[in-house]
Amino acid sequence: MTDLAFFLVAALELLFVLLIIGLLCRTPYRVLVQQPAGPLGARQDWRAAQERAEALLQEILTEEEYRQLERRGYLEVRSPSRGHRVYRIPRHQGQVKVYEGGVPVMALCVQSMEPIPDGDAVLMHKLMIEGNEDEYLRIANRFEPTLYGFIALRPRRN
Amino acid sequence: MAKLRVLSSRGDTVVEWDEKKVELGDPDALAAVREAERIFEEQRARGATAFVVTPDKPAQRIDTFDPQAEQVVMVPRVAGG
Repeated sequence: MTDLAFFLVAALELLFVLLIIGLLCRTPYRVLVQQPAGPLGARQDWRAAQERAEALLQEILTEEEYRQLERRGYLEVRSPSRGHRVYRIPRHQGQVKVYEGGVPVMALCVQSMEPIPDGDAVLMHKLMIEGNEDEYLRIANRFEPTLYGFIALRPRRN
Repeated sequence: MAKLRVLSSRGDTVVEWDEKKVELGDPDALAAVREAERIFEEQRARGATAFVVTPDKPAQRIDTFDPQAEQVVMVPRVAGG
């Protein structure tokens, strides 16, 4: 009887630990793809917007960049001012991961005030990083890498 | 053809004009440039940021409308998420 109770408690504890690990491994504050609310037909409009955005993305990125985005699920953009820094922009809206010398140093969350399609969001991050990096970093909410994912940081500069 | 593109929830909206016709004073081309400039200023007032996009070159931020730029893309106002 005592053994049974022991195993029962142990199993419950194991389940609890697994649950906690599962919760910690989730990407925090993940930005969900926003869809504008609207009357009937809004879903079709949104699909058309996604297609337009995809066409624009394909037009502006080089073949190599677009292939990388399709294959790896992210687009790498080199920092124009910080030597070893690379930004990884996700294919679908979410955090931009920052790597220095191949090591993740932080994640950034920046989003458009107006809902925009995924393709336009990729373009938005790329243009902001290339042409307005300091402002991009000033606006972004930052997350520090940990064993369990990225956690929010207090505001800081650079 | 030069283009002004504005990113929005509908995808991008585009205004196009022919720079050569603008130089020759073509009324339609001049009207298109004026319309592009009006949209540019309107979007800037809403907090949008404009970039000149040139193939194989990093994007360049601009604060005033450039009718000679091959392609200008305007990004809506952004915030920390």
